[in-house]
Amino acid sequence: MSKSTPPLPLTPAVFHILLALFGKERHGYDIMQQVKADSGDAVKMGPGTLYGSLDRMIEAGLVAKGDTQDPRRIYYRLTALGQTTLRAETARLSRVALVARRQLGSA
Amino acid sequence: MKESRSLRLYARLLELYPPAFLQRHRAEMLQNFADLEGAAPSKAALWLLIGKDLTMSLISHFFASRLGTYVIAVLVAWILLFAIGYFRYGSTPGHPALHAFGGFLLGMLSMYIATRLYGTPQNSSYVIGVLVASILIFTTGYLRYGGTPGHPALQVFGGSLLGMLSIYIKIMLISSQTT
Repeated sequence: MSKSTPPLPLTPAVFHILLALFGKERHGYDIMQQVKADSGDAVKMGPGTLYGSLDRMIEAGLVAKGDTQDPRRIYYRLTALGQTTLRAETARLSRVALVARRQLGSA
Repeated sequence: MKESRSLRLYARLLELYPPAFLQRHRAEMLQNFADLEGAAPSKAALWLLIGKDLTMSLISHFFASRLGTYVIAVLVAWILLFAIGYFRYGSTPGHPALHAFGGFLLGMLSMYIATRLYGTPQNSSYVIGVLVASILIFTTGYLRYGGTPGHPALQVFGGSLLGMLSIYIKIMLISSQTT
């Protein structure tokens, strides 16, 4: 995954993690709860999935670790690339939803 | 952190993850589990989420690893052998290759889990443990049910030994290259 190109489309897990981190640093459990709330209980993430995704997102430059001392509560934040990617994916999803609404409306 | 039985079991299951991943996230994952346990409506709901999460993330970690690539290569080799054997000799009565393949998969899986849970490949006590357990199961089955036509139990057993051996050698090779 390149650090300059937003890798679209994102998986639902990555999209929801980016969304949960927008505007606020959060620790793992907080991210899981926010993802659950944002998705209306549709995306329930466990620790293994969450930290596997976070590792890949850190490697891709989308997310960075915050300054935390407690190893049990490490905070994560969006990078500039993460924000760009989130905006680009949201725009892409909006276009897809628009096409879908148009198709469904004409059916 | 209050150490519940569930938390202790989860801590044990975490050993199935790759060591490098655990080094980064063990403390966070244990804390997350404790938080989830505190908020879960029931133990069943908690373990349903954790069971699904462990299965999906372990499969993802495994197939992204060098060992996972090796296992895929071995499975492709088996499929090729099946195909060649089938087209050359047709279907064999009793399906011995299928029995050996089932045993092979079981052998690889048991050796992989034993390696993750009970130490490094250099420590051979778990190898002996798995081997003794396999021989005991085979002997019990043989004494209870006797020799079956075409000896499918023997084919499964032979396959499982081969599976254990193949994954053991690969783990040894990977660990010797990384140390």
